[in-house]
Amino acid sequence: MKFLRWSVLIVYTLLATLPLLWMAVTSIKGREDTISQHARFIPTADASTDAQRHTFVPTTASFAALAEVHSGARHNFWSYLTNSVVIGALSTVASVLLGTLCAYGFSRFPVPGAKDWLFFVLSTRFMPPLAVVMPVLMMYRQLGLTGTQTGLVLLYTVFNLSLSIWLMKGFIDEIPRAYEEAAQIDGYSRWDAFIKIIVPKARTGMAVTAVFCLISAWNEYGFAMTLNSSGAITVPAYFAGLQGNIDGMPWPQVAAGGLLFVAPIVAFTILVRRHLLRGMTFGTIKQ
Amino acid sequence: MGPRDRKLQFAFVGPALALLVLFNVFPLLFNIALSFTNAELVGSEREFVGGANYSRVFTDPRFADAIRRTASFVFLAVGIELCLGFSLALALRREFRGKAALLTTLLVPMMLSPAVIGLFWNLILNGNYGVLNQMLESVGLPTPQWLTSRDWKFTSIVLIDVWMWTPFMMLISLAGLSSIPGSLYEAAQIDRAGTWTIFRRITLPLCAPLLGLAVLLRATDALKQFDLIMATTGPNDTSTETLSTLLYQVVFRDGRLAIGSAYACLVLVLVIAVATAFTRYLEAMNRRPA
Repeated sequence: MKFLRWSVLIVYTLLATLPLLWMAVTSIKGREDTISQHARFIPTADASTDAQRHTFVPTTASFAALAEVHSGARHNFWSYLTNSVVIGALSTVASVLLGTLCAYGFSRFPVPGAKDWLFFVLSTRFMPPLAVVMPVLMMYRQLGLTGTQTGLVLLYTVFNLSLSIWLMKGFIDEIPRAYEEAAQIDGYSRWDAFIKIIVPKARTGMAVTAVFCLISAWNEYGFAMTLNSSGAITVPAYFAGLQGNIDGMPWPQVAAGGLLFVAPIVAFTILVRRHLLRGMTFGTIKQ
Repeated sequence: MGPRDRKLQFAFVGPALALLVLFNVFPLLFNIALSFTNAELVGSEREFVGGANYSRVFTDPRFADAIRRTASFVFLAVGIELCLGFSLALALRREFRGKAALLTTLLVPMMLSPAVIGLFWNLILNGNYGVLNQMLESVGLPTPQWLTSRDWKFTSIVLIDVWMWTPFMMLISLAGLSSIPGSLYEAAQIDRAGTWTIFRRITLPLCAPLLGLAVLLRATDALKQFDLIMATTGPNDTSTETLSTLLYQVVFRDGRLAIGSAYACLVLVLVIAVATAFTRYLEAMNRRPA
């Protein structure tokens, strides 16, 4: 039993980590080394010419090449990464602020139809982007928002509101009302009590919510691709757009860019590891 | 609550709800209206055509195919993820050194972008120089053309989805397992219950509510599967065409906006059905005494 348990765990861990490890190895290879029929995964200093070798000479050329404009693209990787950073950061701030206000409202006031509203909020998350994107696209055309960062910031803010409201409601529900009631007896207005008592106490919750909003905006692809033919293209839309030409793919650059793109996500995952369950289930499972 | 508080509550919940309505209810109504016209993606002329789009969609074998494929994708991917995730959770149940670090490592795939990682899977699964086939060959297993052979494409996408989302099932299963009181197992041991009986009578039933929630959450996500397919086989591949990629193809490649709207309305009916099931389930779970 013990042997079975450990062998399952070891095999699964290998398979689970292989793609990211391979991405890391690929990012420091030359293109020839990435498409060899004998996997080259041992970095060495000496160049060998044996066709069956498993060694390769590491290089950082792929990272330097990210500044070049890949054929078929209009900009280099860094400009797409900048779009991802700007859109992700701004939409996250907006979602967390609006979501915290809304969650506080639902947590503390007897809002008419609160239960139905909350379920409406959650159901917006279930919509496939492709099913709502056409009217949004036509609205954006009228407003001149297609292919702009503003357009995507607005859309991601709304898209993440469901997550933000549900997560923040869970966190705010856990803060005892007695704190604000005491503050209000001391002469604080409701708003002051919210800003000076609740917000500082909900800081951890807001940070956790921000991380989950950021990750989902960072990874979003459906809207990013369909609302943009040229302007504010994010990294997922850029990378997935390379799909048609697998054999001509500059794999070391793709791996280098991919690695830079996923590194912050890995870091954030480690940061919020205690809250992963909550974040991934919209706060419906707390632990 | 005074009138000031009543006004204040709308200031709190109003802005977020207004945005959600604007970006969800409006598109929904607009979609319904568009689906009864002959609008195209380019150009602004459109006429009312009645239910013509719907009768076209319902008689289109491609739509039926996409529905069937999406359903089998949801069924297969979520099913495998559930079984594998739960088994892993059982294997990870006991404490050992480095468990927290191992858990975090295993959870990483579900946080990654399917579009970016999906593109990289093309290299790993490549039939000529992919590292997976080299590994399989070295232990004497068959080496299929994962993403280029018609028979394997769909399976490959299911497997990549399994790689991404098994951690999610594992995470929820672990939460379910840790909520089972140890006294139950002690009592079972006093009664000399066998391992299988304990699993079937204690472990499984007590984990079931959380697993149900996990399955529903995953199913709504798998139903929308788009990113991974776009990054691996692309939109124009009939052997991996799901509802989302079909919609993309109809609207953005063929420019048939109105027909796309009819598709979208039907997809939304499906999504609303699943979302309702989810919320009902959640309500029932919250009512249950913990």
